[in-house]
This record gives sequence, C-alpha cells and structure tokens, in this order.
Amino acid sequence: MSPARSAERAAVAGHGASDPGGCTPPGSPAIHTIELSKRYRSTVALAGLSMTVARGEVFGFLGPNGAGKTTAVKLLLGLARPTGGEAMVLGAPAGDLQTRRQIGYLPELFRFQSWLTAREVLVLHCRLMRMPRPGWAAAADEALHVVGLDGRGDDKVGTFSKGMQQRLGLGVALLGEPALVVLDEPTSALDPVGRHHVRVIIRELRDRGATVFLNTHLLEEAEHVCDRVTILSKGRSLATGTLAELKVRRPSARLRVTGLPGGWWRRLASFGRWTEQGDWLLVEEMAAGRVPELVAAIVALGGRVEAVIPEQQSLEESFLKLLGET
Amino acid sequence: MSAVLTIASLTMREAVRRRLVAAFAVISIVLVGASGWAFYKLSHGGAFTSGETNLALPQAVVLFMFMFSFVVALSASAVGSLAVSSEIDSGVLQTVVARPVRRSEVLLGKWLGLAGLLGAYTAIVSGLQVAVVYWTSGFVEPDPAAAAALVFAEGVVLLTFVLLLSTRLSALAAGVIGIALFGLAWLAGVGGTLATAFNIHALHTASEVSQYLLPTNGLWQGAIYYLEPSSFVTQQLAASPVGQGDPFLALAAPPWQYLAWTAVWLVLILVLGLVSFDRREL
Repeated sequence: MSPARSAERAAVAGHGASDPGGCTPPGSPAIHTIELSKRYRSTVALAGLSMTVARGEVFGFLGPNGAGKTTAVKLLLGLARPTGGEAMVLGAPAGDLQTRRQIGYLPELFRFQSWLTAREVLVLHCRLMRMPRPGWAAAADEALHVVGLDGRGDDKVGTFSKGMQQRLGLGVALLGEPALVVLDEPTSALDPVGRHHVRVIIRELRDRGATVFLNTHLLEEAEHVCDRVTILSKGRSLATGTLAELKVRRPSARLRVTGLPGGWWRRLASFGRWTEQGDWLLVEEMAAGRVPELVAAIVALGGRVEAVIPEQQSLEESFLKLLGET
Repeated sequence: MSAVLTIASLTMREAVRRRLVAAFAVISIVLVGASGWAFYKLSHGGAFTSGETNLALPQAVVLFMFMFSFVVALSASAVGSLAVSSEIDSGVLQTVVARPVRRSEVLLGKWLGLAGLLGAYTAIVSGLQVAVVYWTSGFVEPDPAAAAALVFAEGVVLLTFVLLLSTRLSALAAGVIGIALFGLAWLAGVGGTLATAFNIHALHTASEVSQYLLPTNGLWQGAIYYLEPSSFVTQQLAASPVGQGDPFLALAAPPWQYLAWTAVWLVLILVLGLVSFDRREL
C-alpha cells in the first residue's frame, strides 16, 4: 500500500475513535472505496471505483445492466475479493466480521430456506447476528409488520410469491436496526404499491440515521429517495453528485420569441447553443442564472418574449448522456 | 461455536422438513422387515442343514450390511453435494454468509449436521438389524457396534469428500464424482482381494494405494471383519482354495495405523474444504 493510500485509509478509518461496539469509528464514512477493482479473468467487472458514502445518507448506485453494480456490492460485503484497490465499510475493511453485525443486506437474488416459515427465517438471522435471545420474537414480528407481512409469519417461505419473498428479504435486512442497509434492486419483484412501500421504508431508515446504499437501475426509484447518486458504466463511475447537481449539469431554456431581427443568433451566441424547434427556440449549455440576462438581450434586439421555460435535464437524460446514448 | 450449532441444527431441521428422514425411515423399515423375513427363512426354512445355515447367516448379514452401507454412502454423497453448491446457486447462502459468521462455521455446521444425520441413521438401522437377525435366527455378530462405527466412518469420509467438491463444483458434478469414486474404491478393493488370492503384485499395490486415497472400502472391509465370526472365516478359507479372493470376507481387523490415517485424511479433506469455501467467490 502506498504511503498516501495508507494515510487516506487511516483518515477514513478514523483511528483512535470507536463506537460502543468497538468496531465502527463514528467519524468515518459509511462506505469509502479507493480504486476498487474486480477482474474475472479477462473480464473487468469493476475498474477503479472510488467513492465515499456519508453516514446517514441514501446513496443511489445507478447503472445499466452489467455495469458492475452487484459486483461492487459483493466486494463491499466481503462476498467476493477485490483484485485491486480497497474498500472500507463503517470504518473497517470490507467484509470485517464484527462490522457485519451492523449491516443489513437484501441481495438481488433473494432466496431463503423455502421449508422454513417467514418467522423462522427471521429468527434464524437473529441467531446468526447473535442478537439476545429474548428479543428474537419481537424483532421478527416487528420486521414482518414493517414489510407488510403481518399474518403471514407462520407460512412457509416456499408458498410466498416473489414479491412476498422480496418483502421478507427486506425484513431480514432491517433486523437489528443496522447502521448500513445495502439494498440490491429492492423493488425488482414488487408491484407499484410495494415499490411505494419500500420508498417509505427507505425514508424511515434515513430518518433514524441509517445509511442506505441503494443499488438500482430504476432511475425513478433513485429520484424518489436518494440524496446522492453515482452513475456506473462498464465498471467505472461516470459521475457522482446530488440529483440536482446531475440534472443541472447542462442547463437549458426553451423560449417563444417573436420579432427578432435577422442574424439574431450571432448576437446571442454567447448564451449557449441555439436550436429552432418549431415556434420555439432552445438554448442549451447556458451558464446557470443567465435567463434574466438573456431575456433582456432579446428585448434589446427588439424581440418579444412570450414564454420562457427554464429546463433541467431529467435524471434519465443525464444518465443517457453520461452513458453516451444520446 | 454457536454459529456452527445453529447451522448444524438448521441442516438437521431441513432433513426433517424435506421429509428426507421420513423417506429413510420408511425405506429402512421395509428393508429391515425384508431382512427379518429372509433370516427367518434361512434359519427355519428347513432347506439347509445347521452347518449350511451357520455358513449362510454371516454372509447374509454382510450382504444386508453392504446394502445399508451403500445407502449410507449414497445418502452422504447426495446430501453433501447439495449442501453448498446448490445453496450458492439459489442465493440462499449469500444471505447467511453476509451475517457475522465465518464461512468455516457455516461449512462446519453443515458437516456436523449431515454427519449427525448419518450417525443417527447408521445407529438406528444397525441396531434394528442386529435385533431382527437375533430375533429371527439367533445369530449374533461378533462386534456389531464396531461394524456400525466403521460404516458410519465410511459415510463421513464420503460426505467430507463430496462437501469439498461441492465448494467448487455443481451439485450434480460433486454427487456423481463422489459416487463414482466410491464405486471405484470398492472395485479396487475387490481387485485387491483377487490380487492377493492369485498373487498379482501390481494389482495388489494399486488396490492398496486406492484404499489410502479414498478410505471408504478399507473401512467397509473393517466392518465386514466385525460381522463375521472367526470360525466362519476359517471355514471359508478351508472350503475354497481362493477363499482370500472373496470380497465379502475379511481376514483381519483394520490396523490402527489405517484408522489413524483415515482420521488424518478426514481432517485434511475437511480443512481443504474450509479453505476452498473461504476462498470461493459468491
């Protein structure tokens, strides 16, 4: 490890500070990766991912299928080993045994022992988490209630629909009030009501101070709940920021103007790139806050501004542009 | 240790819930019942002289025990092959190992649970068999407990080996390889007894080596020894010039060195399985 990386790691781990459990320095980020890489023979699944997820935020991990999202999650949880770089989770190296007590995980491939009842699955995970025995039954009932499986706790998992199994998986991930909840495509099997329910749960997790790492390819899902996102493609992070930052990366305005003299666009070229779209003019890549100045310039040229619609890119547009799909 | 016991009890509960235990119980009751009928006919049918009956009973006991040992081995291979790889493929194991448990605890728990099931099955079936044979024919094996222990050890050897395979291969591949090598080891053992009788040195050496590579047949030969009275062995050897070539005849108890090697082999393969599973990408 290079001295610089050692220093960074030490800073990230927050040496000297510790939580009551003795394994998660409170000042450290929830997740911090430095050039995290994973290669499967000749295939690069993750190519130098560097990111920091602060404690208490809902962080969206976006990307198309095959971008390396699930690989990154597996590396963070210690289910797979990196071929390069490093990752710290809750102040400890990824996969650390003690830290796993504070992590809830809903895998993309959510499968549980079909011959157990839902309550037995939850109790099994209470045991594996070494929770005190007297709290198992209450924790299981609470989890069943939170994910909307009241009254189904004594049914065999094998009789559950995919959506119900995903709800159960979410309940398992929420056991023990984890500091970090990693959700890998948590709504893939849910109907719209279920998706809404998951969003509510995620917001509640944020309200109680938990960090949520949301791995999804559903942009709408990220827009609803995420504080920040990173967009991943071909194993690389293309952009990271708040949703607002990503959306205003290339601001634009749509105007309906009459009475402009010939050659007007040369006089207004400094505002951005102009395109005529029917009765409308579109100016793109305009610096933030210049709309009033633009309107004044048009009026000065003798034009009549009948409508101005400042436009932000949707997350989807940002996403597609970053991926080079537009 | 608590995680090991949690996984072990989960493994046993799975066997009960999936009706594996019930299936074994039904099959065993049928087979033990059938053997009781056969032993009754052998000793009370009137078709044999008392001398012939005395020769036939130990052979019949060994044949029935051979069948049970095959069931134990087949079961060990089947449940061992499914224990890891199928749970990885289905995704069940990922949620377990993401918890604060070591992978070694998970694998040890599965091994312990499955070995416990094999032990219970072997003990119950052997006990029933001994009781039925005694009740129907009056024949008592020299040391049925030792024989049962060796059959159990045979099952644990195969279980441990297949669990190791299951950490890397698909359930189907691990199961097939386990059974195939078990059969090969038995065949090598038969070849070895024939080689001894006919003095074929190279075949004898190959057979000896195979008994150390996969000690299932060596243990089975030990089990045979404890099922046959020494008078029966003497009679068999006297009756046939190639008596030593009989694969269901054991002339000596398994030497302690061989049992020690089997113990070492078990530990080595188990540790190899733990390392392999620990390094497995999930």
